[in-house]
Amino acid sequence: MEPKSEILRGTLDLMVLKTLDVLGSLHGYGIARRIEQVSEDILQANDGTIYASLVRLQQRKWISAGWGVSENNHKAKVYSITAAGRNQLTRESENWNRVAGVIGRLLKLAPEG
Amino acid sequence: MFDGLRVLVSRVHGFLVRRRADEELEAELDAHLALLTDANISRGMTPEEARYAARRKLGGIAQLKEINRDTRGLPQIDAILRDIRYAVRTLRKSPGFTLVAVLTLALGIGVNTTLFMAFNSVALKPLSVGGPDTVVRIERWFQSGSSGTDQYAFSYPEYAFYRDHNSVFSSVVAASWPFRIFAALPETDAAKSARLGEPEKATAQLVSANYFSALGISAVAGRTFLPEEDQPAGGHPVVVLSHAFWQRKFNGGEQILEKVIKLNDTAFTVVGIAPSDFIGTGVPPQIPDIWVPLAMQAQLVPGQEWLNLAGSYQVQLLGRLRPGTGRQQAQAEMAVLASQFGQAHPERDKTIAITLQRATFLGNTEDIRFQAMVAGFMAVVGMVLLIACANLTNMLLARSTLRRKEISIRLALGASRGRLIRQMLTESVLLSLLGGAAALLFSIWASKLLWLAMAPVLQVIFGSDALLAIPTGPDVRVFGYTVLLSLISGLLFGLSPALQSSKPDLTTALKEESSRRLSRSRLRGFLVGGQVTISMLLLITAGLFMRGLLRSQAADPGFDTRSAFMVLCDLGPDEAKARALQKQIVERLENLPEIKGSALVERYPFGGTWTPPVMPEDNAGSPNGAVLRTLANHVSPGYFATLGVPIFRGRTFTRQEAETGAHVAIVSESGARQFWPGENPLGRRFKLDMKFTGKFDAGFEVIGVAKDVRTANLSRVDRSYVYLPADAAHSNSILVRIQGSRRDALGGVRTVFESVDRNLLPGLSMVSLEESLVRLQKLMIQTTTTFAALLACLALALAAVGIYGVMSYLVTQRTSELGIRMALGATAGDVLVAVVRQGLRPVLVGAVLGLAGAASGSAVVHSTLVFPGSPDLFYGVSAFDPVTFLGLTCFLAAVAALAAAVPARRATKIDPMVALRYE
Repeated sequence: MEPKSEILRGTLDLMVLKTLDVLGSLHGYGIARRIEQVSEDILQANDGTIYASLVRLQQRKWISAGWGVSENNHKAKVYSITAAGRNQLTRESENWNRVAGVIGRLLKLAPEG
Repeated sequence: MFDGLRVLVSRVHGFLVRRRADEELEAELDAHLALLTDANISRGMTPEEARYAARRKLGGIAQLKEINRDTRGLPQIDAILRDIRYAVRTLRKSPGFTLVAVLTLALGIGVNTTLFMAFNSVALKPLSVGGPDTVVRIERWFQSGSSGTDQYAFSYPEYAFYRDHNSVFSSVVAASWPFRIFAALPETDAAKSARLGEPEKATAQLVSANYFSALGISAVAGRTFLPEEDQPAGGHPVVVLSHAFWQRKFNGGEQILEKVIKLNDTAFTVVGIAPSDFIGTGVPPQIPDIWVPLAMQAQLVPGQEWLNLAGSYQVQLLGRLRPGTGRQQAQAEMAVLASQFGQAHPERDKTIAITLQRATFLGNTEDIRFQAMVAGFMAVVGMVLLIACANLTNMLLARSTLRRKEISIRLALGASRGRLIRQMLTESVLLSLLGGAAALLFSIWASKLLWLAMAPVLQVIFGSDALLAIPTGPDVRVFGYTVLLSLISGLLFGLSPALQSSKPDLTTALKEESSRRLSRSRLRGFLVGGQVTISMLLLITAGLFMRGLLRSQAADPGFDTRSAFMVLCDLGPDEAKARALQKQIVERLENLPEIKGSALVERYPFGGTWTPPVMPEDNAGSPNGAVLRTLANHVSPGYFATLGVPIFRGRTFTRQEAETGAHVAIVSESGARQFWPGENPLGRRFKLDMKFTGKFDAGFEVIGVAKDVRTANLSRVDRSYVYLPADAAHSNSILVRIQGSRRDALGGVRTVFESVDRNLLPGLSMVSLEESLVRLQKLMIQTTTTFAALLACLALALAAVGIYGVMSYLVTQRTSELGIRMALGATAGDVLVAVVRQGLRPVLVGAVLGLAGAASGSAVVHSTLVFPGSPDLFYGVSAFDPVTFLGLTCFLAAVAALAAAVPARRATKIDPMVALRYE
């Protein structure tokens, strides 16, 4: 069902989840700004891409959405993480760290012989 | 797994609320843009700059929406819906095309659905009983291989044994064949008094007391039988009336309930009325007027003993399967029970297997002859559908030429070929479903006509109520069949145009010049050729039938069938007693002045055949050693005089020869010629393999030669016929020739029966050969011819439309070329010849193929005539009847020429100047 570049998409989903975990309820714009800030502009992506990520997370019931008001008094959709989302975040973070560790060690290996 | 399910649920939800979700996303993105713009402005940009920068940052809104939609909902279904909407728009834009296409399909699919509806009504639809899925009919298979309705006959002791010893049925019911009785009913105006009118004829059926309750039939008034009404014998004189009989005799009045009526002189009480849609369960189907508990057998059929004789096969059985019991399992147990019963009670013909069938209107639907007939009809109507599909393919091909630009643009814009094919198939399937819907309407109407047309035939076979009884309406199976057929046709006629026109060679297509024209016109030629082949085939078949029909009206059996009567009566299951009664009856009949002659026969003329292998002694022998078969019958000495078949040489049997079953025989002229060509057959001998055991164990001496007549089939002179003397074992039917009025004769016969045993009267009836069996044969060919002609005309009409379409297309395609030719001096005649030659080439090929097919089919049909028992479908019309073959070829050629001429004439009217500017 899900096409192309599973890894990147998973990364983005993980970042969105973590953002909501740290900052509580937030609208799409806020999430985008936060990720931009943390990633120090390394992830040069359109803001729009997070909306697909938000749909995917909602489908799995890891985040929930409600209507709120933005800073400039616009009607805005506000997202927050659910209990299931937190569990998933813990699992994914461990996973990520383990994989990152393995990859890190692998890349540090000096060529043999 | 669980996760996947959750996503799917959410996607389905997202799909259902897609419009609202779209709006929400839009609002969300708007808010996002506004925030971005504000931030940009606070960073010092002008409002305009800020808005543009915000848009860049967010990304393309349309793409975002698209991605979002795909993630959120069900993109596949979305695409299909879009395809359907697009297809609807396209079809609406060309209403003429759509109308012609739908009508063509309606006819093509309609004839198929009509046939299926008829088949469904008689062979698939369950009887109207409660919970029909668990009701099965019990059928037995005999060691001798004898087949037909006898396979449904069981004795009452067998019934009781199965009922009491099985563990697979929740109930087993028994029902006799309907039989004639005399019923004295209350006089209508004296409903309150107990006065009964004169006895009149009615039909009754004896059933087990659980018959109605086990089948889930409840009375519309009063009650049905109670379980205890099975016991004791003669203890419960109660009856249930059929709805039709109740309406006919009592106008549906309820005061008849609890009233006494007399059946065969025994008083019965009416306790209930069966529902109108209950048409009984019998094979062959026949609705009785009155149902009576089997325990009353001795009162209703006096002088016979059914309930205790294990060899008296009088009832048909149905079972209701226990919940959770499969048919196979039940069948296995019944087989065991049947063999147990067979060991305890010696059988005339051993039962070797039991099968359980769904209870449908007709029995014996597993019979290979029935299935072959249905398959044959299906093949014919299938061919009509093929013609219709070929037309559709042609129309779509022509259309895709017109749409070439649109398709090329879509390809150029990046639509994938698969996507285009899917789009075009959606269009053709939509067309075919529309056609299917129209076909359903068409066939509901057509099946009414069909049954009306079949009514005379059904009446002769099943009796006058048959038409009322057949459940003719459509049901879920008919709908399913139509939808399936529509889908298949849609894919069939849509696939090749879709594949052809979506070939991604952009440049040629955009240049409006096709390199594919050649392959495409070959496909068209192939299609037209196929259509013509099938039309030719059907036309000639119909033509041969038509010629046969003309001959059948004048077909002369060689004797008078109007004053020859079958005397039908039921003398009971006790053979010896029945023979004694019969002897008495025939002796007394011969003394009646109204009866010119009477005879005993094993089989009535036109009433079925017996074709044992025969071996004539000291003849030249059959050339290739094949087994020779002959028609044969057992007849009494008076047969020849009674029927009016002269004995040319020798003599008929003596009474003594008949009674002792002497080994003498009379052969027909052509039989004698075949067995001993050019020799005197008298005194010759031949042997018969009478029981089909492979041994010629009975020898006969020829004592006479009879005139050739038609008695096996009205359609041809009996190929060879051997008459054997009818001894007691082979003389169960009475044939009489009457003189004077039919009324007097019937009265005379009735007095004879009354004087022998007045219990026989209810079962007595007399029918002339002409009105029953001969009429049936004539009706059969009339009906077959009508249908064949209708189908052939339909096929030809569709093919003509096909030819017309292709010719019009060719002319349009060649407009500029023809224009140039005319500019260079070609005459209108030259152009006409050029176009017609190209267009009619496939017609010619198709006609030749069709002729060849028809000729070989006809030859196959004629080759079956070697078998003496098979009918001549075409009443002696020769296999390659020149009138039919030549005449219909000319007819088809004329139709094809006409269909081609109209567009071809248009070609001759081309103005070179206009043509050259074309495009």
